[in-house]
Amino acid sequence: MSDTTAPAPVEAKEETPFRRFVSEFAANKVAVGGLLVFVTIALLAIFAPWIAPQNPYDLAQLDIMDGRLPPGEVGGTGITHWLGTDDQGRDMLSGIIYGLRISLIVGIGSAIIACLVGASLGLLAAYAGGRTDSFIMRLVDLQLSFPTILAALMILAFLGKGVLNVVIALVIVEWAYYARTVRGSALVERRREYIEAAQCLVLPTRRILFRHLFPNCLPPLIVIGTIQIARAIALEATLSFLGLGVPITEPSLGLLIANGFEYMLSGNYWISFYPGIALLITIVSINLMGDHLRDVLNPRLKK
Amino acid sequence: MAINTRGRKLAAGAVMGAAMALAAHGAQAQNLNMAVGAPVTSLDPHYHQLSPNNAAAGMIFDRLINTDGDARMQPGLAESWRAIEPNVWEFRLRRGVTFHNGNPFTAEDVAFTFQRVPNVPNSPSSFAAFVRPITNVEIVDSHTLRITTQNPSPLLPQDMTNIFILDRETHENATTEQFNSGQAAIGTGPFRVVSHTMGDRIEFARNDSYFGTRPAWATVNYRMITNGGARTAALLSGDVDFIDQVPTPDLARVRADRRLAVSEKVGLRLIFLGLDHLREDASPFITDNNGQPIARNPLRDLRVRQALSIAIDRPAIANRVMEGSATPSAQFLPPGVFSHIPNYAPPAPDAARARALLAEAGFPEGFRITLHGPNNRYPNDGRIVQAVGQMWTRIGVRTTVEAQPWTTFVGRAGRQEFSAFLIGWGSNPEGSHPVRNILATANRDRGWGASNRGRYSNPEVDRRLEAALVEIDDARREAILQEAQRIALDDVGIIPLHIQTNIWAMRNTLQHEARADELTRAQDVRPR
Repeated sequence: MSDTTAPAPVEAKEETPFRRFVSEFAANKVAVGGLLVFVTIALLAIFAPWIAPQNPYDLAQLDIMDGRLPPGEVGGTGITHWLGTDDQGRDMLSGIIYGLRISLIVGIGSAIIACLVGASLGLLAAYAGGRTDSFIMRLVDLQLSFPTILAALMILAFLGKGVLNVVIALVIVEWAYYARTVRGSALVERRREYIEAAQCLVLPTRRILFRHLFPNCLPPLIVIGTIQIARAIALEATLSFLGLGVPITEPSLGLLIANGFEYMLSGNYWISFYPGIALLITIVSINLMGDHLRDVLNPRLKK
Repeated sequence: MAINTRGRKLAAGAVMGAAMALAAHGAQAQNLNMAVGAPVTSLDPHYHQLSPNNAAAGMIFDRLINTDGDARMQPGLAESWRAIEPNVWEFRLRRGVTFHNGNPFTAEDVAFTFQRVPNVPNSPSSFAAFVRPITNVEIVDSHTLRITTQNPSPLLPQDMTNIFILDRETHENATTEQFNSGQAAIGTGPFRVVSHTMGDRIEFARNDSYFGTRPAWATVNYRMITNGGARTAALLSGDVDFIDQVPTPDLARVRADRRLAVSEKVGLRLIFLGLDHLREDASPFITDNNGQPIARNPLRDLRVRQALSIAIDRPAIANRVMEGSATPSAQFLPPGVFSHIPNYAPPAPDAARARALLAEAGFPEGFRITLHGPNNRYPNDGRIVQAVGQMWTRIGVRTTVEAQPWTTFVGRAGRQEFSAFLIGWGSNPEGSHPVRNILATANRDRGWGASNRGRYSNPEVDRRLEAALVEIDDARREAILQEAQRIALDDVGIIPLHIQTNIWAMRNTLQHEARADELTRAQDVRPR
């Protein structure tokens, strides 16, 4: 589909609103801070193999005799474990950097796919109306009436573990939010004159949908998107914490927290604590950006 | 004067108050709050063969032959027993024993119990195997029984340590539901049931007419707290006085706490790795280093199995993963138990020799394997498979680890879907039990190899087991069983890792007789 080219017109053709958007966004220091933190995390995640002192997913590099070393201790492999090690002798700093990688892949990946699926269905519902609309919207209702975690747990129990399966499960439980949002704003836009004009020119439906209607529904979608990325990251952590997300030898942040949780009473706080902090910082930075994006993109909040 | 009188009244009140407080304290000391880690699934003692159920039943009922903490046979409802012919056992029953409702215990009740055991509807894991050898029960007099078996049955007394005795009058038509409601949960044991909430708690009161040692507790609150952290927290906060299955991560903390005491005993449960012996050709989870299937199953080669075994650093697992609550082992039974093989220790870890053995077997570059295991069945099961994965990877057998919930895992293991897997086996204190269930060639009709999920098969082992099962002489039977185990273990039919230590924790005002069979019962706990 031509979805991938969709955001382009906003930037290319309408340069001025984009610049206005950038300057408005930059005016809020907290949001810029959030963006900076997020970019740092993203860079860490992308360059993980070069930054992390150890490959925490390679069993041959782990030694059980280095298990549960406190922060700052040097292990048998000669690595200084600045954030300590977990029960398998895995360097926590490396584990967190690689874990961030999984969190971001799962969060952003599932958000993009869910957005594509949800937005297409939402547009279709709004434009086609009638039975198609009812059918898609009842499907959305059905999806939204189901507790997210429960649905994700069931899907994963069926699909089995693995990063890809987590992404699939998250897409299935999240698309409905996008569909509903896009349908709402598309219904409003549809009655505008420029759509009527396009219809009078007998432009093909696909062109009207994706070149005219979709770009004008983008602002709320971007807001929902950022919030859903944070939600997806938290959900992945929850699923992994419950033991249904990623394989135990390739822990994400949620699984690292779950592993350390059992050692809390014996005082080995670092196994849970540091991945928890990393998860917190990631989600807060995304939410800060998302909140401010909503303010900037919402016309009703304009001064 | 008035003040003086009031002062006296006050003083008298204070004395009374103190006396009441003392009385209240006395009453409190008579009550025991205990929390166990595994839920009791039924109070019907013949419904489900499961350690938690046997523990609860062991407080309510008795067996003809009870067992002590070391799993040795002790007179229970039978005072003595002997074989009067190779296939006839005579039991002399204890006189003057009554059930909780006052009914006298007689030989009739034992005969009734044997009839009921195989006929419990919907039993998920039946006790029937223990009474199957019995062909005839003869009631000689009200307190003497003769039990005839089809073949010479040296294991009959051992089997009798698994069967709880019911009352014919009370339980003639009793259903499992009636047991669960507490209505039919009437035995001869040291405690009677006051109330039972399935999966949550059982309340017991002392049976004052118990024939054995009088229990120290007038009432017992037996709670089920399945989450390990929550169980430890309940003990630390004083909510309960006694817990079982102390989670190993909390062990250090519990041991260091001076308000608490710990009791432990090497158990009868071996944790081991099962291997795919079934397939001659490709095994489902083994590939070469490029991910291509290998035409022959490397695990059929003894040298490969030996390499995988000596690659494992068992002391490291016992000390680091199990935090000392396990003993490395090369066999099913711990020292001191019937048919333990003396001087048969696990091999010292030797990665260089493991590599050499792999090279000899034609795999100088190793291969890839997936090691499966449960993640919620045994203490630290998920961690143990990862640790083994590390050690195998280091000798060139690149290992992927997959830990799954027990129910999924055990189903797949039972269908021979795995190449290598971690599992455990809790033995009776008699070598024929693990040999028959784990090492013998699987055969449904004979009931052999019921849990032989790797499908190890060795006619030498089978032949010795056959001989042992009908050998009445204990010394000779022990020698045959030791030989059978040695043959299978030298052949690396399974890779034993360690025997678990059972650990309980309590307030330091209590003492506990630890049990090898994992059962957590209130009569084993006393004030210090």
